[in-house]
Amino acid sequence: MATQALTPTKEGNDQSVEAKIQQFRDLFADAPEIGKKALENALSVLKSQASDLPPAVESAGRVGARLGKISELTIIVPLAPGGARRLRGFLRLLRGNLSQGANKVGTLHTMRFVFFDNDTRLLFATAFDGDWDTYIDDFVAKIPDYLDIIDSAWDGWPGIRHPGAKDYLAKHQITAEGWYVAYPDLTVAEILRLQRVGKAVDEFLDKVSA
Amino acid sequence: MATQTATPTANITQRDLTVEQKLQKLRDLYADAPELGKAALKNGLSMLTKELAAPSAAETAGRIGARQGKVSELTVFLPFVPGGAKRLRGFLQLLEGNFRAADAVGTVHDMRFVFVDNDTKLLFATAYDGDFDPYIADFAAKIPNAMDLWLCNFEGYPGMRNPSAAADWIAAHQIAAEAWYVNSPKLTAAETRKLERVGTAVDELLDKIGG
Repeated sequence: MATQALTPTKEGNDQSVEAKIQQFRDLFADAPEIGKKALENALSVLKSQASDLPPAVESAGRVGARLGKISELTIIVPLAPGGARRLRGFLRLLRGNLSQGANKVGTLHTMRFVFFDNDTRLLFATAFDGDWDTYIDDFVAKIPDYLDIIDSAWDGWPGIRHPGAKDYLAKHQITAEGWYVAYPDLTVAEILRLQRVGKAVDEFLDKVSA
Repeated sequence: MATQTATPTANITQRDLTVEQKLQKLRDLYADAPELGKAALKNGLSMLTKELAAPSAAETAGRIGARQGKVSELTVFLPFVPGGAKRLRGFLQLLEGNFRAADAVGTVHDMRFVFVDNDTKLLFATAYDGDFDPYIADFAAKIPNAMDLWLCNFEGYPGMRNPSAAADWIAAHQIAAEAWYVNSPKLTAAETRKLERVGTAVDELLDKIGG
């Protein structure tokens, strides 16, 4: 798909753009009125952007999507009996202070825990740097106990030291069909470094202008 | 939504507890946990003491959702209309990652579209700057078309030309995260992008000086 945008001749480009616009139209032929109208309004923008697409989303390895350097992990697990009560109790005692574990891993941008379906299921979603296997290995190596305190609430969780742990995670993960990151080239480490650079530049400019 | 209203009360009670009391509460909580959970708690307690002693880092994003520093989370499960899943999947594939509309809004850190429960629902999860209501109002003002293009695939969506009804609709499907972690909570998406440019400029400057 991505190669379409790289078609060398202008003529070929125009053709593929037209074909693409037609695909959008076909897709929305039976859409609700709101959608049809929105497509008509959006076509000119879609047309102008069709031959200049941003970098494509790739795979984060075994499972998950990656854009640039940042990947998504989205896991939905059934909770064990009593698991919701335990995990919620644990998370509430921490009062949002998850940095001790997360900073140790060092490749974690964001992470959320969401209970749903009357506390029978949990959504765990993170944005992280790099590939799936390396990321999970990092958790195993750096904060295995922390992880098991959380994951022991999950139904069927074998334990992070168990050889089946990765299969369990991969089995419950659902790869995102759409994944967007505002700054795909910046890892956690790079953002932390840039914050120091930014501060140094500010101090430097202060000195120069003083 | 129920958890949202319950959280502040729970936090007030837990604020008054000493670290020792919290540790005891954790042990009680895990008394009936599976063996591996109990063992993990025992081994992990030393690592938790610091976090348990820290002041609360949990904030709210206004009407609904969790916030840490400047960055908030929005997590919704949206029910597809018949044919909606097929259309949205096709739409996302045709877009080929072209989310320039989100760039235009400027307050989005990331967003994911995940089809769940046999294509009956979409999980949409995003990290964004600031509070829920201004965030949605911003989308309604800047990219109503782009919003209608994907949200028209869900049951009951009133349309972005009706911004307050659209915000109510989203909030009704949202579930506030029980816990939310952000690595750099002081940086908005715009500030992060600016730092990226500063970094490039500094590198070029140093190259020139060195070269």
